[in-house]
Amino acid sequence: MRKYFALIAITCLTSSLFVGCSGEEKVSSNGVTEITIPHYKVGQNVGAKFFVPQVERFNTLHADKYKINIEELPQDGYNDKIKQLAQQNKLPALVEAGDTDWINSYIIPNKKYYDLSDFISSNEHISNVVIEESLQYNTQEDGSVSTFPRTSSRPIGLFYNSTLYTPEKPIRDMSVDEFVQSLGDNKLAFITGENAWTTMLFYTSLIANEEGGVELLNSGAKDKITDFNNDIFINATTKLQEIAMSNGSSNMLGAAYADAANSFMSKNSAIIFNGSWMGSDFEQGSEDKWSNGFDGTQVVSDIYPGNVAIDTIQAIGWWIPDGLPEDELEVALAFLEFINTPEELEAYVLQEGGVLPNLEMSEAFKEKQKERVLINQLNSSVTSETHIVPTFEYIVHNSISQEEFGKLLPKLFDGSITPEEFCATLTEKAQSIE
Amino acid sequence: MSKNRNLKWIYLFLAPSIIIFAMFYLVPIITLFSTSLTKWDGFNEPKFIGLDNYIKLFTQDSFLISLKNLAYWGIIAGTLHVGFAVLIAFLLHKKPFGWKFVRSVYMIPNIISVAAWAMIYRFFFNNDFGILNNLIRKLNPDFNVNWFFESPFAFWAITLTWLFYGVIVTLIVFNELMSISPDIHEAAKIDGANEWQITTKINLPLCKNAIATGIILSITSRIAMYETIALTTRGGPGDDTMNIPIILVNAINDMNYGYANASAVMMFLFGIMVLVIINKLFGINKEH
Repeated sequence: MRKYFALIAITCLTSSLFVGCSGEEKVSSNGVTEITIPHYKVGQNVGAKFFVPQVERFNTLHADKYKINIEELPQDGYNDKIKQLAQQNKLPALVEAGDTDWINSYIIPNKKYYDLSDFISSNEHISNVVIEESLQYNTQEDGSVSTFPRTSSRPIGLFYNSTLYTPEKPIRDMSVDEFVQSLGDNKLAFITGENAWTTMLFYTSLIANEEGGVELLNSGAKDKITDFNNDIFINATTKLQEIAMSNGSSNMLGAAYADAANSFMSKNSAIIFNGSWMGSDFEQGSEDKWSNGFDGTQVVSDIYPGNVAIDTIQAIGWWIPDGLPEDELEVALAFLEFINTPEELEAYVLQEGGVLPNLEMSEAFKEKQKERVLINQLNSSVTSETHIVPTFEYIVHNSISQEEFGKLLPKLFDGSITPEEFCATLTEKAQSIE
Repeated sequence: MSKNRNLKWIYLFLAPSIIIFAMFYLVPIITLFSTSLTKWDGFNEPKFIGLDNYIKLFTQDSFLISLKNLAYWGIIAGTLHVGFAVLIAFLLHKKPFGWKFVRSVYMIPNIISVAAWAMIYRFFFNNDFGILNNLIRKLNPDFNVNWFFESPFAFWAITLTWLFYGVIVTLIVFNELMSISPDIHEAAKIDGANEWQITTKINLPLCKNAIATGIILSITSRIAMYETIALTTRGGPGDDTMNIPIILVNAINDMNYGYANASAVMMFLFGIMVLVIINKLFGINKEH
């Protein structure tokens, strides 16, 4: 008897080790296939305003068949989360972009993606709207399409508060020096925390304003830049340092995006560098974000000095991992199809700005777009003469843009390192990744 | 025969612990050591590259700075941090007025998650609205320091986030003090010893093992310190507050698992080194 008791005790002890080690369960009830995708466009994230209702619209439209749940993530944790899920072989059915380095070095060479070429070519309304340059970028040597190409072009520029800063002419038509002179004592909402987004945008424009800078930026989208010890970067860094020292917002050291936005929307900064999606923060309904007499109607948008706008057409978009169960793949493809319907594309551009070069816009859209003053300003600032360049983020390795750039900025801005040292350190860090 | 039958049962009952040890410690440690000698992106097959990851580690500024930081933090942890915690334990042992309240308050940082604590410190050290700078500005209105984002303040700001929170060490030492027989203290008093002599000649030597354990725990915590740095300075400005766990996580994010594991091996070796050195210095477990 004692022997049996002991054996049972040992079995229980050993089996208890494996409790909780069961596989992931796919929820499916009443014929509805549910998938859960991690995403950062939730909560206070600026992209949530469009993305969350869009997913709800999809769920409502396909209420009898599909449901997409969103697992909330902070934006700067998204890429890492996707990589961790990939390691566990638990990638969600839909992924929006992610770490470009990782996708180029692992997902694409190992063909871990679902080939979207048939999906795009068999849906006429989709193949008609994708931008050809972006489709080519996302098409691999074997003809497969790894990630969904861009359908819209969204120029990233800047917003300024016209009650604080009144340029004599459009910023687009100024040189960098003229722009700096026009600033006076006005402050720029820089960031050094997170990935230093607003600072990175302005830095990109400074690079583009250097001789050969536009070409350098455009060449870096495919072949990552690891050597910053050249005149283009050193000159751009020197200008960034000078401008930050004279016109950087008081909270720029350690500031995250929310701090920069708060600085701008409380009139502590006159200018913030960001994309058209921020326009909704300056419209009615966002008054709770404003303080200190700030009024969204005072905001004007423009592009960067030297007629530079930032947009990355050669970018990765939504993708689907390979090897998904048939029903999950069906939901994922249905979602991609849904978000690329003319109605959804128009709604997207209305909310977040940009242009859809390959879509004939409806009259209703044109009427509504007239109300989006800021977005129209930004779109109309871009002409055929405008230099459109990708962000610095796209031309360097992920850890350089997401970690090292932001971490070095405080030292550059407080003068403890020179622009040459800044570029040398970035070079050392970038080359150590190779 | 009976002894052999007992051995069988002993091993059977030990089996769950051995399985746990093998699954969660032994196998990962072996994997860690072996993959640290490879170039591995975490997805494809690891490729043997010998000591390249270690050579790269020891020739990179960020690792050398993190070694320097670890040395400073280790010294501060082993002296000031443990010293303060021991002092609190000795004070609490005297049971002065309000000692229970003080003990509870002293425990609070330990029941708040490190992540929340890091965020509290971000606000505490904020230049614009942080309590610290606003207090300093009462004396010096022009004072402007971004503690977490300026050299050399960032190192000290990080240090201050843990320097005075040694509650684990305090509890270990306090329990050791409580276990000292009152007879010893009484005998000492009869022999004419004063409070200071009782503390320094009796209590302190009898708490030697507890203090040594506290030093080991404190220094190894510095080796593994991640959350506070990741949520405040991320190792910056530049590499001022860099440490090995940050290097490890960055390497993982760069899909450089061989390099990440080489840094993990170094953490492992430093931990063992601390254990051996403190053991030797304090003669832990030696019979007196």
